[in-house]
Amino acid sequence: MIRLWLAAALYVADFQNVARKAGLTDVFPNGGSVSKQYIIETTGSGIAFIDYDNDGLLDLFVLSGKGGTNRMYHNEGHGRFRDVTQKLGLESSGWAQGVCAGDYDNDGYTDLFVTYWGENHLYRNVGGQRFENVTQKAHLTQERTRYNTGCAFIDIDNDGNLDLFISNYLKFDPATTPQPGANPYCFYRGIAVNCGPRGLPFDRNLLYRNNGDGTFSDISEASGIAAPFGHYSLSVLTGDFNEDGLPDIYVACDQTPSLLYINEGHGKFEEEAVLRGVAFDQNGKAMSGMGLAEGDYINEGHPSIFRTNFSDEFETLYHNLGGGNFDDVTLDAGLGQNTRYVGWGTGFFDFNNAGWKDLLLVNGHVFPEVEKLHIDIHYKDRAILYQNLGNGKFRDVTRDAGPAFNELHSARGAAFGDIDNDGTLDVVINNQNEAPSLFKQSQKAAGHWLILKLQGTKANRSAIGARVKVLTGEHAQWDEVRSGGSYLSQNDLRLHFGLGSAMKVDRIEITWPGGAKQTLENVAADRVLAIRQQP
Amino acid sequence: MMLATSFLALSFLLGESNLTQEGIRAFNSGRYSVALAKLAEAAKDPSDEQAGLFLALSQAATGNCGAALPRLSQLSSTEALAGLAAVKCYSAAGEETKAFGLLDEMAVRWPNNADVLYLKAKLHMKAFNDATLAMFQRTPASYRVHELSAEIFEVQSRYDEAVAEYRKAIEMNPQAPDLHFRLGRAILLAGHSADSLAKASAAFQDESKLNPEDGACEFQLGQISQVEGQKTDAKAHFEKALALAPQFVQVLIALGKMETQDKHYDRALSLLGKAVELQPANETAHYALLTAYRDAGQMEKAKAEKAILDKLQKPPEGEFSDFLKKLGEKPPAQ
Repeated sequence: MIRLWLAAALYVADFQNVARKAGLTDVFPNGGSVSKQYIIETTGSGIAFIDYDNDGLLDLFVLSGKGGTNRMYHNEGHGRFRDVTQKLGLESSGWAQGVCAGDYDNDGYTDLFVTYWGENHLYRNVGGQRFENVTQKAHLTQERTRYNTGCAFIDIDNDGNLDLFISNYLKFDPATTPQPGANPYCFYRGIAVNCGPRGLPFDRNLLYRNNGDGTFSDISEASGIAAPFGHYSLSVLTGDFNEDGLPDIYVACDQTPSLLYINEGHGKFEEEAVLRGVAFDQNGKAMSGMGLAEGDYINEGHPSIFRTNFSDEFETLYHNLGGGNFDDVTLDAGLGQNTRYVGWGTGFFDFNNAGWKDLLLVNGHVFPEVEKLHIDIHYKDRAILYQNLGNGKFRDVTRDAGPAFNELHSARGAAFGDIDNDGTLDVVINNQNEAPSLFKQSQKAAGHWLILKLQGTKANRSAIGARVKVLTGEHAQWDEVRSGGSYLSQNDLRLHFGLGSAMKVDRIEITWPGGAKQTLENVAADRVLAIRQQP
Repeated sequence: MMLATSFLALSFLLGESNLTQEGIRAFNSGRYSVALAKLAEAAKDPSDEQAGLFLALSQAATGNCGAALPRLSQLSSTEALAGLAAVKCYSAAGEETKAFGLLDEMAVRWPNNADVLYLKAKLHMKAFNDATLAMFQRTPASYRVHELSAEIFEVQSRYDEAVAEYRKAIEMNPQAPDLHFRLGRAILLAGHSADSLAKASAAFQDESKLNPEDGACEFQLGQISQVEGQKTDAKAHFEKALALAPQFVQVLIALGKMETQDKHYDRALSLLGKAVELQPANETAHYALLTAYRDAGQMEKAKAEKAILDKLQKPPEGEFSDFLKKLGEKPPAQ
């Protein structure tokens, strides 16, 4: 027992990029690689792990910028993926930005929503055989071209129907946007670069209520979601941050204060990021927020938030003090040493199954032109892995985490999941103008594990918003089923728990959306367990 | 040109002579020889002040500052255009003291005049360039040459080169005050790797040996300890910095935040209250005080601090609306 706990704690990761071997060789275009004329070339794109055909294996959906198509890859097992884009009816064009998943019609198959600069796409999953673009039918078309970025399905009123939140970055029109170098907002360290976000007009975020009949209604104004003005919104993170039973919404904003919409009930939200301590860094300054991760990294029952930011800024770890008030603990947690990267996709994940959530983020600058400066800030950069030391602190173990962390890419979206159900988590990354990366460990993580696949009955079928406590001896862990997150991406909807030396879980406590509780006891470890909400 | 045009309009109102109007028009269109001839004739009438002003401006524009300066100096307290020309004349004559003196007076009188501010910036830049060139020519072997080079690199965000220059300066004069401190800061600006933190820490400790009562060094050492996640060490450095410099606002804030985290709200509120008292426009201080009030359960006071912070962080008027106008778009409704 002790030997296994030690093994998990001392475990050395060996992540390899196995994308090519897995058949993931398509390049996903996203604007210029040497220079970028417009800001739209800088923000794409997200990536998703979903099991669209319910065969128990995670499939992969990768978004593309202009000049390519989004692609769905079916997980064939044995570490291989096959492109099924055409067969499923997912061929597309345009500047895809973000992706989120959820079974919005509760038919048992996970649907997809893809955001664009331009028309968004709601893809209804038809029996795991094909996807139907039902955007118009669902009343989700937009009256003008919008720069939609992050998205998340969220059941704001716990009525069992997934509603939809969409963040909007800014108002962008290439016909009126100044050229690189045209004004002071179009320079970076003295070199002419694409303009923005500063200087470009703000836009407002959107919330659509699911009417339960396959259609949605825009309640952005009525709900208060559209009220905040003056924010460049990117990633979305949902969760019950103030632990009142209603899901809230956090939005990472670029160069402007980030937003925390607290769900007041009855379809109303109040924006409270400043008072709750998640708008700024610890100095009260707005950061360039990009990606987001939620995790109870200290195993105390409160969901904390990690946000990736721009180069010359610290990343930000907001510790939830309980009740939805946060404290910036970035430096105390040992996360203050990497300031040369522009961070994007990120996630808390227990890579060594030690029972403590570690942290990974992917990087890449927005300006390829930065290479002209010959400084230590680069367009393509490595990912970073922090190991959770179990005492509120993290240690940068990137250099010892395997060859995947030596690779340089201009990465954006990142999604976390277990592609072969071996209990060791994998990471897929969308790289600008390259094939995706698939980070897989060369060996199984040392500790035991458990993966939970929840299915709502009264609650929404995807169980989005369900909160789970896993107890092994004195060691408790919490997590929540979530749509969206990371950077414009979708993680596996199943929940993964590293168990260290524990070969069984003493108790699993599930709080379903709406408050219903369900408990399981003496659950054997090292398996994927499906749990259906008790009627 | 705008100012000259307004003078022109005024001259019509005041019923200036045709000769004066023709002279001003010639000045405005850059035909100085014509302007000089016509305005000299018009200025023979001592009551024609516009003729006198524009004659002096024309003389200054053609390099005849000797003739122009008496009238320009006389009018510089009421006419910005005359003052600007006088400053340029003083500067051209190498009379920098008079030029800066007059500019300072003008900056008080016309604090929002872009021409005045531009000329002030330009003259200071010229003075900087002149002094830099003189130092590089006359004292090339001085450590100051490297120190200044380092500072210039720092401004240009070329931190590695700044660090190299500071090191050269230190090699030449290891006892010079501030060099080690600046080196440490440049290292931190270049990055926060473990190696950078260690080197910066060594530099601040070297500076501390030279200036044992320098609170700024203790503050920097405290910040490094914070980045290293060494909270206890950080607090010790901040306490020492505060003892050395009780009105050091950044230290008051750093310690106040730590006390908030440790739930020592009375001391936190006292430290942060002092910080905002010393620097009422310090956003960081107000944000830290907001957090302390919030965590102490004093929500009304926290909200009051938020209101102050909102006001301080409001972007300057016009920053975005001007840009939107250029895009031909109305700002979205609030």
